[in-house]
Amino acid sequence: MSFSVLVLRNLFRQRVRTLLTVLGISIGITTVVALGAITSGLKSSMGELVHGGGADFMVAQAGASDLTFSAVGEEDVAAIAARADVSRATGVLIEVADVGSNPYFMIFGYAPDELRGEPLELLSGRLLDAPQEVLLGADAAAALGVSTGDRVELERETFDVVGVYRAGDRLRDSGAVAPLATVQRLASKQDVVTGVFVVARAGADAEAVAAGIELEFPHLAAIATVDDYAEVDQGVEIMDALTLAISVLAVGIGAIGVMNTMIMSVFERTRELGVLRAIGWRGSRILRLIGAEALFLCGLAAVAGTLVGVAASRAVLLVPSVSAFLEPAYPLSIFLRALLVGVAVALAGAAYPALRAVRLSPLEALRYE
Amino acid sequence: MSELAISAVGLRKSFEGGRIVALAGMDLEVEPGEFVAIVGPSGCGKSTLLHLIAALDLPDAGTIRAGGHDLAAGRELTHYRARHVGMVFQLHNLLPALTASENVQLPMFELGLRARERRQRAESLLGLVGLVGRAGSRPPQLSGGERQRVAIARALANEPPILLADEPTGSLDSTAGTRVLDLLDELRRARELTLVLVTHDAAIAARADRVVHMLDGRAIQLPAPASTLTSQGNGVGWRPVAHGVNAAPAKRPRLRHGGVR
Repeated sequence: MSFSVLVLRNLFRQRVRTLLTVLGISIGITTVVALGAITSGLKSSMGELVHGGGADFMVAQAGASDLTFSAVGEEDVAAIAARADVSRATGVLIEVADVGSNPYFMIFGYAPDELRGEPLELLSGRLLDAPQEVLLGADAAAALGVSTGDRVELERETFDVVGVYRAGDRLRDSGAVAPLATVQRLASKQDVVTGVFVVARAGADAEAVAAGIELEFPHLAAIATVDDYAEVDQGVEIMDALTLAISVLAVGIGAIGVMNTMIMSVFERTRELGVLRAIGWRGSRILRLIGAEALFLCGLAAVAGTLVGVAASRAVLLVPSVSAFLEPAYPLSIFLRALLVGVAVALAGAAYPALRAVRLSPLEALRYE
Repeated sequence: MSELAISAVGLRKSFEGGRIVALAGMDLEVEPGEFVAIVGPSGCGKSTLLHLIAALDLPDAGTIRAGGHDLAAGRELTHYRARHVGMVFQLHNLLPALTASENVQLPMFELGLRARERRQRAESLLGLVGLVGRAGSRPPQLSGGERQRVAIARALANEPPILLADEPTGSLDSTAGTRVLDLLDELRRARELTLVLVTHDAAIAARADRVVHMLDGRAIQLPAPASTLTSQGNGVGWRPVAHGVNAAPAKRPRLRHGGVR
C-alpha cells in the first residue's frame, strides 16, 4: 500500500461527502475560470479595438469614465495628424445603439475620405458616399439577416446597406460604419470624436509618439495596451475589481467547504489518528496525510472546475447580445490561477484540521468516542 | 548483567488536576525476554502504567526507561514508539477502511520500506499469526479473534523488542482469547520479546513468568500462602505458583523493592 492509496482510501470511505466537497470547491474554481475567460475576452476585444485599422495606439479623453463618453475635438484630431512623427490619425466617433438583439451595437463614425485609407476588407458592395449609407460588419449582417442592397434601421433612422466588411476585430465586425457627420448627428456630439487611431511614422518609436501626444495634449491619454485603458475607461478597473471580489468570495466559500470536510474527517478519525500516533507515526506524517487528502480534493475540484468554467464561458456565447462583443479568451494564466486557487484552498482549508490532528495526544485520541 | 528492558522508578501520574491518582510511586523492572503480567482491580493504574511504557503519556514524576530511551524526558517518543515497542489494545483499533495487510503495513511507513517490501512483510506476519489468505479482508469481515491477531501482527510489524498488551482478550470469547494468548506466548518465545500484559484475569496472569499486582497506583506484595514464598538471594520474592500455571521465567527474576518489580 502506498501513501497515496491510503489518502484515497480515507477520502473514498465518505464518497458522498467527498463528492459534495469537490463540487463546492469546483463551483468556486468554475467562477474563477469563467470570469477570467470572460474578462480576458473583453480585454482582448478592447485591445483589438485600440489597434483597429492597424493603429499603433488610440488617443482618447483622459479621465473619461467610459470610452464611449470620451470626447476629442476635431481640431485636436487635425493637430495630431499634423505632427511630424504621425503617419495617420483617424478620428472615429463610437455610438452605442440597441439594434436587433444586440444592445451594444457599435456604430463607428468615419469621415468617408479617411475610410479609404482604412484596411477594411470589403466582402461586398462599396465604401460610403452618402449620409444615410452604412457598411455592416460581417457578423452584424449575419445576425440581422441583411446584405448589401438591403436597408437597416439604426437609432430610429433608415440606412442603405452599401457594403459588408470584415475588420478582424469582434467589436467592429458586429457593428457598423457610417459617415462621421451622420453619427455625430445621431449622438448629438457635434465636432467631436470618441478617439483618434494613430499610426506612427515609419522609423518613429510609437511609445515616444504616444508620450509626445500626451505631453502636447494634457487632456488626452494614449492607449497602447489594455492596461492603459483605465486612463480612459473606469469600466475595466471595475470589471477587474468585480472579478477579483467574486473570485475571492468563491474561493473563500470553497476554503470553508474544505475546512468543514477536513475538520469532520479529522474529528471522525480522531481515534484512528491516535492509533497512528501510538504505532509510531510522526506528526509530520499525519500532517502530510491530512494535507494530501485536502490537496487531492482540491486538485480534483480544480480539474472539474476548470472544465466546467471553460464550458460555462462558452455557454455565455449562446446569448446573442453577449456574443456580439465578447469572445472568451483562455490565456495560460487563467489555468495557472485555477491551480493556484485549488492549492491555496486546500492549504487554507486543511491547515487547522491538520494542526489539530498533529497536536492530538495519542492517548486522548485513543480514548475519543 | 544485561540492561533491563523496562525500568520504572517512583512513577506518579494523576488526572483532573490531581483529583484522580493513577500511579502513586510505582516501581517496575522487566528483564529482556521476560513475560510480566500486571494485574489488579479496575482503576488501580495498570493501564496507565502500560501507557507510560508505551510512551503514550508522560509521568508527573519518577523515571522510566525502555529500549534505551528516557521516556519521562518526553524526547524522541515517536521514534521509540515506531521502533522499540509494539502495542496490542483491548479493542483491536484497526483502521476499518484498510485491509488486514494494509493495517499491518501502517507502522512500516516509519521504517522507510518500499511498498513491495511492506506488503511482503505484512503478508509474512499475517501468515505467522495464522491469517494466511485473509490479507485482503477488512476488519468488519474478520472475527474478533482474527482482528486481534491482525493487531498482534501490526504490533510486530517493526520488529520491536518490547510488546505491550492491554487486556488483549478482554473483548473475545474464551476460545478466541485462549488462541490469542497462545499466539502471544508463542511469538514472544520465538522472537525473544519482552511481553508486558495487563489483565484482571488470574488465569491469564498465571501464564506469565512473573505477576505484578497493583493496588492504588502501586505494586504490592500479596499476602500469600507459605508455599508461594520462596527465598531468593538476599530477599523474599512472590512467585505466582499458587495462582495457577507458572511458566518458567525467561530469566530468573531479580528481587527489587520488596520483591515486586
